[in-house]
Amino acid sequence: MSSRIRFVLATLLGIAALSVVHAETCLSPFVKRLDRPEKFLYVYCVDADAKDNDFVAVVDVAKGSKTYGKITYQLDLGSKGNETHHFGFTDDRTHIWGMSLFSNRVFIIDVATDPAKPKLVKTIENIGEKAGFASPHSPYALPGRMLLSFLSAADGNLPTGLAIFRNDGAFIEKLTMPDDAPYGYDVAIRPDLNRMVTSSFTYFNNYKKPLAKFDFKKFGNDVLIWDYRMKKVRAKLKVGAAPLECRWSLKKQNNYGFTNCALADSIWVWEGDKNDKYTARKLCDTGKLPADLRQSPDDRFLFVSCFVSDEIQQWDVSDLKNPKLVSTLKPGVQPNMMHVTGDGKRMYITNSLLSTMDRSNDFWIKLAHITPEGLKLDETFHVDLTKFRTGPARGHDMLLN
Amino acid sequence: MALQQFSIGNCQWSIVNWLSAIVCLAFCVSITQAVERLPVIQKAPDFDLMDQSGKRVRLADFKGKVTLVSFIFTTCNGSCPATTSRMAKIQEHLEKKSLLEKGVRLISISLDPARDTPAVLRGYMRLYEADGATWSFLTGPPEKLSKTIAAWGMWAKPAANGQLDHPSRVFLVDRKGQIREIYNLDFLRVPWVTEDIEFLLREKH
Repeated sequence: MSSRIRFVLATLLGIAALSVVHAETCLSPFVKRLDRPEKFLYVYCVDADAKDNDFVAVVDVAKGSKTYGKITYQLDLGSKGNETHHFGFTDDRTHIWGMSLFSNRVFIIDVATDPAKPKLVKTIENIGEKAGFASPHSPYALPGRMLLSFLSAADGNLPTGLAIFRNDGAFIEKLTMPDDAPYGYDVAIRPDLNRMVTSSFTYFNNYKKPLAKFDFKKFGNDVLIWDYRMKKVRAKLKVGAAPLECRWSLKKQNNYGFTNCALADSIWVWEGDKNDKYTARKLCDTGKLPADLRQSPDDRFLFVSCFVSDEIQQWDVSDLKNPKLVSTLKPGVQPNMMHVTGDGKRMYITNSLLSTMDRSNDFWIKLAHITPEGLKLDETFHVDLTKFRTGPARGHDMLLN
Repeated sequence: MALQQFSIGNCQWSIVNWLSAIVCLAFCVSITQAVERLPVIQKAPDFDLMDQSGKRVRLADFKGKVTLVSFIFTTCNGSCPATTSRMAKIQEHLEKKSLLEKGVRLISISLDPARDTPAVLRGYMRLYEADGATWSFLTGPPEKLSKTIAAWGMWAKPAANGQLDHPSRVFLVDRKGQIREIYNLDFLRVPWVTEDIEFLLREKH
């Protein structure tokens, strides 16, 4: 056996070994995965009455720790009224980029120097200025860069788009949504297929209003399939109203993915055929207002939080022609964001969607166990987000470290 | 042929003027909507290191060439073997397409100066059948190498398993010394990298 062949085999074994531990789902595929159980849960919090600064709550989730299930640190973000919403790791997992839907600020947070006490290293005011966009929504790591999806044009209307930044925050380039599909929301890439998918919600001048005043005709219902390397739209697919999260199948042989259509109470699937032609269809009806969509590491289950019907549904999607509802959990009022652990055994849950959409002031973080019998709420784990010195906080997105 | 005149208010324009305006407008719209292929990410940071034969090497030595730059260490059992193996395939493919002679070079910079001496790098190159004529493996004193690693936005720190933890990134640098793409292993595919290199070779410099 030649030295070259030996090394290629070693390489393949190395990759196989890495893929076993790389099991966290719903992160950019370029983000370094945790190779151990989680110790810290970061929760991106909005001060509920917008009178005090927004913050990141650090919850101790290390099993056996004396402070397990407690908030051990709060990182003050230095400003209020941001509507802190989604946040995401850089590719090397050393920093988190935090988005804000009302202020256009981006917070760059160091989580490597001391993961127990994250540090705010930079605040970028008006992140969309050079791209001509506003309302940064999804941060998505690329190698050495961050891809951000926006909800609005600079004036709070449409069209919106995507923009790419260096990890230090410098603007690189923008992609404007096409005239006939001008909305934006989430973004997800399958590198092996060279495909990127984007979804569509509504824009700032609509969602900034109280829910009762939303114009529900002003929501997108398109999923776009892009050639990622050429950054061109290849297919525009009609789906239910307000497709939100974009989740590609985790298995390399599968050229399909899922989105939760919030205003159509359903999950839709997009599928590419052997000729690389894409179509979309409704996969299943869900509870009311499916707000978040998560995957199990084995690609078998989808978890969908139904914000209005107060439930989380677990769907077996191993057979796309016959999806099965296998479990339903009622964790409390208006469940929204979920985060599934890398081993696929636990799920953290928060319950704020948007300050203009929440209907309850009872904010919390809960934990569900994903068992062979379905989702089971852990009654011993309950983080109350209403008792801060500054009053209640709306917890939204979560990350583990 | 007399040119038809149009008037708006006090302005009088010929058809030629109108056509010119429309062409200019269309051009401006196409510029604002066009997506630049491989936009400039940043200037590639310079380095001053030594190669596998102990010769001093600086980034400036590669000016006018398209370079593919990786960061590895020879005792790595994570992403480095796969990266170097893929780079070897890229070198082989570029050789077959006669692109190396048009000014393409590969560079691998060590993340582990304590162990990766020029002699160790030469042994590592043999394992991957890397051709030193167009692929340089670089090392240097720890302080110099640390500065280079940090300047490129990279880092390496000891991991619990005795290995070095580090990001997986491979940089494509154009003939002006600007970073134009950053790959990880998923995107470091022979046809895609070749296509990108050919694109950069076609650019004026």
